[in-house]
Amino acid sequence: MFKRFISLEWKQFRRASYFQKGMAIKILLFLAVLYFGGAALMLGVGLFFIIKKAIPTVDPIQVVNNFLIYWFLFDLLIRYFMQQLPVMNVKPLMTIPVKRSTVIHYLLGKTSVSFFNFLPLFVFVPFSIVLLTQGYPVINVFCWFIAMVSMTFANNFINFLINKNNVAFYVILAILVTFVGLEYYGVFKASEPIGSAFNYLYNHSYLAILPILMATGLYYVNFNFIKKGFYLDDAVSKKVKEVNATDLSWMNRFGAVAPFIKNDVKLIWRNVRPRQVMFMSFIFLFYGLMFYTQETYKNMPAFLAFASMFVTGGFLMTFGQLVPSWDSEYYKMLMSQNIPYKTYLQSKWYLMVFAVVISFILSTPYIYFGWDIFGMIAAGALFNIGLNSFITLYGGVLNRVPVELNVKAKAFSNTNGFNPTQLLIALPKFLLPMLLFYVPYKLINFQAGIVALALSGVLGIVFRNVVFKKIEAVYQKGKYKTIAAFSEKK
Amino acid sequence: MITTSNLSKKYNESTVLNIENLEIPKGQSFGLVGNNGAGKTTYFSLLLDLIQPTTGHIENNGVMVHESENWKPFTSSFIDESFLIGYLTAEEYFYFIGELRGQKASDVDALLSQFEDFFHGEILDQKKYLRDLSKGNQKKAGIVAALIGEPEVIILDEPFANLDPTTQIRLKGIVKDLAEKKGVTVLISSHDLLHVTDVCERIVVLEKGEVIKDLKTSEATLKELEAHFSKVAEV
Repeated sequence: MFKRFISLEWKQFRRASYFQKGMAIKILLFLAVLYFGGAALMLGVGLFFIIKKAIPTVDPIQVVNNFLIYWFLFDLLIRYFMQQLPVMNVKPLMTIPVKRSTVIHYLLGKTSVSFFNFLPLFVFVPFSIVLLTQGYPVINVFCWFIAMVSMTFANNFINFLINKNNVAFYVILAILVTFVGLEYYGVFKASEPIGSAFNYLYNHSYLAILPILMATGLYYVNFNFIKKGFYLDDAVSKKVKEVNATDLSWMNRFGAVAPFIKNDVKLIWRNVRPRQVMFMSFIFLFYGLMFYTQETYKNMPAFLAFASMFVTGGFLMTFGQLVPSWDSEYYKMLMSQNIPYKTYLQSKWYLMVFAVVISFILSTPYIYFGWDIFGMIAAGALFNIGLNSFITLYGGVLNRVPVELNVKAKAFSNTNGFNPTQLLIALPKFLLPMLLFYVPYKLINFQAGIVALALSGVLGIVFRNVVFKKIEAVYQKGKYKTIAAFSEKK
Repeated sequence: MITTSNLSKKYNESTVLNIENLEIPKGQSFGLVGNNGAGKTTYFSLLLDLIQPTTGHIENNGVMVHESENWKPFTSSFIDESFLIGYLTAEEYFYFIGELRGQKASDVDALLSQFEDFFHGEILDQKKYLRDLSKGNQKKAGIVAALIGEPEVIILDEPFANLDPTTQIRLKGIVKDLAEKKGVTVLISSHDLLHVTDVCERIVVLEKGEVIKDLKTSEATLKELEAHFSKVAEV
């Protein structure tokens, strides 16, 4: 029976529309997988030596054990947002004579074959090998490795459970935030007791049985959970969420664009995919840390300009690049309703501007790195508002891929709303701020670079009506094509 | 009100719609019938400027549909579920449409109150998003949304499909009322000959994109339509 399921999956995969996309995307995705896999591999190999150099007094395995808990919690968080659970198409299987338990075992087995379960292997396998070459006892390392794999699978199944339950998710999130906070301010180092537990586990190999039991136990919890819900009106059919309506009438002051902005807020709040994007754009805020902390970039201010643009531009780029696509599910209605295109575009612009401003406010801690850096972030924010937003909106015209709002984007297997044109239009977004900064910087000085970058944004804001007209014309021209593409069945 | 001249739509080489001349006067309730693939939805899509005509044009109240957007303020429609915004509740959706059509929330409320028995308590105050409603209830919401803002032209594609019998009967009442008392031009397509003859003053039969019958509804119309479609079945 399993063989037949797999053949069905294979057909689904081969015949899915995204598989028929161009070679370019496949190559890009392959490269992305390679990149992340490679990065994990490097981390796995290098981790031991990095720790040894950084904290020479403590055994590296102990340091790793102390931080494992955060690794697993973070892993869980990422999974929650990114891992798409295989709600296998069970409906047609319910009426044919296949044992329920067979289907469920298959379903759960399928979740195990996920990128998110393989990525940790890329870290743990090389790390364990390095440990062995450094003369650590084989039994201990092997059992520790098995324990780590079991923990990863346990996470996999916990994710399955919390995906069905929002409360569980917020509990996990709250725990993570509290512990990181307590740890950071040195109030209570939660990593210590848990770390010593992992250390104890490492030293007493037979205890590896505990994580294995945990993973197996969670597997059966899931099994029972699905089995109980294996009826159309339960887990199999999509969950009907209770509405939480908030009063957004205060937004009416935005005038003609108000109805759209109110709608977009609801769009983001109530749909899985935009929420995911929201989360991603939050991560962008920390992008600066990667650059500002490194000595190497101090002498490459063009890269700093690039990073500064990224800090405030996360939402703008991740949300903005899919602009008409977010409304693809009801685009026909928008096009036949009493809506001027310009108002529609303006509302999206205001939303992006709003997000940039919020990100800018949140980025104030960067003052820590000096006023030069913060000035750069401010200039980057202006560039985002005045120029980047328009480039992004313009790029939207070329993007005619429908987006399923309430379905998570899969990591590396879903190219929903992604195409090579998108990439092409992304290039100026990256290169322009670097160029705008670098040329005056080279010719005059650092401050001139910042001013030039900021000025480009101000110009865009001043001439926004002209720009809107142009973009509107492009959208009008592509209207029929967009409608046709959006109404294509997925 | 709506004038169609020399309209045709081709995909590659196959013609899916070809209407030489069709005039729909103001306040008429107009029915479009035909088998699958006859061109009903294509015609409605052209009316709403969702696809481009290959030749010819449609004039809606003097506005060239594919050239200007000025027909939008007085035209409304419900073609399929893709006209609904799935993540809104029915009320939010109605207010959204109301805002687009320049209606105050109280205007929308006043309109909705007329449709309480049509909704049958299954649309308003449900604490459910539109995407979670049943097909039939989604349709009810879409149809009523098309009535918001006093449109002069209303286009409904297959409004009777998926509705329960009680709602079908109520919908017939609503449509008749719109055309007779309020002078609204209503365009309806349907597979259900009985409903269409009940509601529409005039019925046009499309076949393979061409108008082959144009009838003023009378006692004999239903018989004639049934005869026609069973003949098609025999051939």
